[in-house]
Parts: sequence; structure tokens; C-alpha cells
Amino acid sequence: MNFSRIMALATRIIQQVFRDRRTLALIFIVPIFMMSLLFLVLTSTSTVHTLVLVRPTGTNSNQVNTLIDKLLPPQDKLKTINITTDQVDTTLKNGNADAAIIFPADFAQQVLAGQNPTVQIKLEGSDPAVAKAMSDVANGLTHQLGVALVALSAQQHGQAGQTPVINTTIPFTVSEPEYLYGGADYTFNDSLAPVFIGLFSFFFVFLLTSVAFLRERSQGTIDRVMVSPVTRAELVIGYISGFALFAFVQSLLILLFVIYALRVHYSGNLLLVLLVTVLLTVGSVNLGIFLSTFAQNEFQIIQFIPLVFGLQVFLSGIFWPVAQLPTALQAISYLLPLTYANEALRDVMLKNYDFSKIAGQLAALLIFALAMVVLSSITIRRQRA
Amino acid sequence: MTETGPEIHGERQVQRSANGEPVVVVKQLVKEFGKLRAVDDLNMVINTGETYGLIGPNGSGKTTLIRMMVGLSRPTSGTIYLLGEKMPSPKVSPNLGYMPQLSALYSDLTAAENMRFFCKIYGLRGKEQGKRIREMLERVDLADRANDVVSKFSGGMKQRLSLACALVHGPRLLMLDEPTGGVDPELRRTFWQYFSQLNSEGVTIIVSTHHLDEASRCTRLGLMRLGELLAQDVPQDLLRNSGKDNMEEAFLYYASRQDEVVEEEKVEKEEIQ
Repeated sequence: MNFSRIMALATRIIQQVFRDRRTLALIFIVPIFMMSLLFLVLTSTSTVHTLVLVRPTGTNSNQVNTLIDKLLPPQDKLKTINITTDQVDTTLKNGNADAAIIFPADFAQQVLAGQNPTVQIKLEGSDPAVAKAMSDVANGLTHQLGVALVALSAQQHGQAGQTPVINTTIPFTVSEPEYLYGGADYTFNDSLAPVFIGLFSFFFVFLLTSVAFLRERSQGTIDRVMVSPVTRAELVIGYISGFALFAFVQSLLILLFVIYALRVHYSGNLLLVLLVTVLLTVGSVNLGIFLSTFAQNEFQIIQFIPLVFGLQVFLSGIFWPVAQLPTALQAISYLLPLTYANEALRDVMLKNYDFSKIAGQLAALLIFALAMVVLSSITIRRQRA
Repeated sequence: MTETGPEIHGERQVQRSANGEPVVVVKQLVKEFGKLRAVDDLNMVINTGETYGLIGPNGSGKTTLIRMMVGLSRPTSGTIYLLGEKMPSPKVSPNLGYMPQLSALYSDLTAAENMRFFCKIYGLRGKEQGKRIREMLERVDLADRANDVVSKFSGGMKQRLSLACALVHGPRLLMLDEPTGGVDPELRRTFWQYFSQLNSEGVTIIVSTHHLDEASRCTRLGLMRLGELLAQDVPQDLLRNSGKDNMEEAFLYYASRQDEVVEEEKVEKEEIQ
């Protein structure tokens, strides 16, 4: 193993990437652009959500309902439907509504009697962005209702010269929102930011390596390198070091962007994030070298993308948790490197896990990386045959 | 080099590489691709300071032979010794220069960057590297284009740079696969002048070409057809033995003899059956 030969290979790869401005843009600007776009899409509130109400029906309910009607935003901002308690779950599950506010039937009586009734909030929850927005809406509405009830009571009883019946600030309790799916601490942006670091570095490193290696073959430069004193190990390590640099810088850039520009919740050890990136890069450089052997031209490299990334985008837990997938698909998930990278990156960035807690995922990534090194070495040897 | 006579050739055969072995020894070399015999029972011995020309039409097995000699392709059977080492051997690579048929350059890098890369992988660095790169670029008349990106080069320029890259580490043995393809006649002449200069410095060259007019510039020729060596000798003897006055005619003469042998073998086989 000769370090200066490895450096020669790595420097050459870095030079080549820097020579191609579009490739640089692909590595550094495209991820930022795509993430910004995705975050904008996810946080937009342009669609009208639906809120279902189970209104109080008992004595004195009319005044409460009048107040609710006054407080509700217009229908073109928030669609509201009145239903009964037993219809709530089915309506939410059918996707006909995003959230429900459930008043007990004798809400008014309980308030007047100072019994502190409980108002329930239920959220559909499958889309964390919508759930968060609707939770805010429901909480806002109930709070305003509380304030309005106190004011009304003061006004009515004040006129009559009596002590107001309602003397607490809010005469009822609002339950913690109940999620049919997902959970309150699960916001989409927070859980997406970490996995994009993995996805982007894996994707771009794969693409760059496989094209670079394909060119190396079609230009014939690989023959020159193989005739020279460069060994197979030096070739593979040279490629890894060259592309690892870009993967590193890319990960840092994405990380800084999501933390400071998109203000995504982040805690955790940067070194662990980079360690995951390195392991992924080793795997993806070698996967690129391996698969490029089966391609005759750049277009055939593109044909591998659905194969390599289609599976990983859908099954590695980026959008849907692996645990919620059908068992057969879960088996595939656990063969994919990004599944482990995603778990590790989320654990580190969201839960601030330390090395020992993600050791399992790191081991899985290491095994994948080593398996790819073996495959790529076999194909490089085959070129020599 | 037309004046090279058989006497000189005889003298040359006595020359040996430093360790007393001929530079290239090929024994009973066979390469099969499925049913096709690309190289068929080939034997050759090449000595220090020779320019051995592999002459033959496309598909005659020249490239396959060279790729096996440099270790890029594994023979089906037979052995190859380069510089006294049985191939494939890592000991040979520092002293081996190889110019592939394609110009084999990093087209997104400049001429100097390409050369610097090849210098570095051969362990050439610092002042020596710079000096060597300048020297070689001047030699192939590309000194003024050193900082131009290779993708802008013409075919001939790429070929020149490719030769410079193969020579940058000062190899003792040089394998050139069609080095003069796409090179204009004037530059072709300077290439061949340079080859004979390298010969006199003790560099051994194996060069494949399908330009028959270049044949006379080699110290020795191997005529290849259908994976076989039809004949190998100094150019003059090839002409004399065939009774022809130019290499093209001579080649056709040896080719027809090969066809006769093939025909005879066929007849023999049929008779046996």
C-alpha cells in the first residue's frame, strides 16, 4: 500500500469534479434546493383543512354554540362540520376531517356548576405538518372560547349585580390532543432532515463514482492505471478518499442548512453524523464501481438508479416507518444500507444518542461497506482477466 | 532505419538486458475467447534495444497479444516473461510503459494534469517531475498546450500526449498499441526517430501498427494474421525470403502460405475421416 499513489488518485478525482461546474452544483446546490422545496411544500398551509365539532347539546348550550360560531374562522379558511361523538373516529379515519373538538353534551351545565368539564381534541395525525397546524387551531379555538365564556359571564352577572359564576380563567380543561396516527413530537421536517444527509450523500457518491469509473473504462485510462504500480486496494481507497471529501462537505452543508436556514430541531454529535456518512460513502463508492462494470454507457448507469434508489426511498423509513411496512417488505428494508443510516442519523440528530446506542446500525453499515468492497474488488480483478 | 542490415540484427540479438535475460520471452501463448482463438501458439524472443513491430490487419490479435504482455489480459495457456519476470508480476510495472490503442487520457484534465497524475502513480515527484513533464511535452510538441484541457485536443494531439504519458516515468520496456493512428505523416516520422533514439538508450519497444510503410523502421517484425505469427525476422529478410520488393506484397505472400497450410490441414482431416 503506497500512500502517495492513493493521494494521487484522490487528488485526480477531486480535480476532475472541480473541473465540471455542473457536477459541483449537483453535489452542493441540488440537495439544498430540493430540501428547501420539500420543506416549503410540507409546511405550506394553503389547503383548507376540515375540523369536526361535537357540540354541547344540554341545557344552556345555545349561548356556548353562539360563541363557538363567532370564534370559528370562515368556511373558506377552515371547513367545519357538526357531528355526533360516535361518528368522530370513523370520520377522521376516512380522511373526511383532520381534527375533532369534542365537547361533552352537558358542557354548559358543568361550566356553570364550576365542574371543570374536559374538552377533547383528536387529530388524524398521519401528516405531521397538518396535525401540528390543526392542533394549534383546536387549542386556539378552545382557549378563545374559555376567555369568551369568562367575559360573557362577567357581563351577564355584572349587570345583575351578582358575583360572576365563573371565576376561574378558563372554566374547562382541554385534553392533550389525541393522535389517531403519529405523535405530537413527530414533526415531518425534523424527522426528514437527518435522512436527507444519508440519502443525498449515498445517491451523489454512487452516481459520481459509477460514471467516473465507467469513463475510466471507456476512455481506457483504467488500463494505464492497472499497468502502473497502482494496486487494486490503492485504486479502491483512492476513489473512496476522493469522493469522501465531497460527501463530507455535502453533509456539513446540508447539516448547517437545515439547522440554521430551515431551523430544524437538532441536537447530537456531529462526528457521529460524519461517521455514518463515511461508512455510507465507502459502501456507495464500491457499489458504484461494481455496478458500473455492468454498464456500457452513462445511460445504462441511469437505468440503475430506480433499482438502487427506488427501493431505498420507499423502504428505508424515509417517509414511512419501517415498522409500519408489511412484513415481507420489512425483510427487504433490513437489507438496505439507508435503513440503518436513517435510524442512526435520526437517533443521533433527534435523540442525541451516543456511539454505543447506534453501534448496531454502524455495524450494519460497516458490513454493507465491506461487502461492497469485496464486490468491487472482484470486478476490478475481472477487468484484468 | 532502412539501413539496418541483418548483420546489425545479429549483433543486436547478442545484446541482453541487465540480468542477462532477453527483455521479452513469449512461449506457446494461446488466448481463446469462447471458440475464437485470438492468439494461437505464439512464440517470440525480443532483446534489449529492439523495436519489434507487430504488423497485421485489424483483428489479427495484435492488441490481444499486447494486452496479455502488459498483464491486462490473462492468457488461456502459455507463459510471458518481461524483464526476466514471469507475468503477471508487480516487479515489472515500474519499468513498463504502455500506450493503449485508445488515447486513454482524462479528457476533463489538462495535458499537464494528466502527466502529473501518471508521474505521481509512478512515484515521480518534485523537481524531477516538473522537469520530466516539460521534457516530454516538448518532445511531442505540446509544450505550449500544457494547460489546455484535453477534451479540446485533436485526435493527433491526444495521441501525442498519450505517448508522452506512457514514457513519462522512463520505462525500459515500452508497449505501444497503434501509436501512429491518427498522427500526420510529419509527426509520424518524428515518432519513429524518437523510437530509434530510445533504442539507442537501451529502451526496448514493441509496437503494433497496420501502416505497412512503418514496418521498415522496425529492427524486427512479426507478421500477424488470424492470431498466428506468419513470420518474424528483420524486414530485409522477410522481403528476401518472400522474393517481394515491398512489405505489402511480402505480407500477402506469407498470408497465402498460411491459407495453404490451413487448406492442407482441412484435407488431412477429411482424409482421416
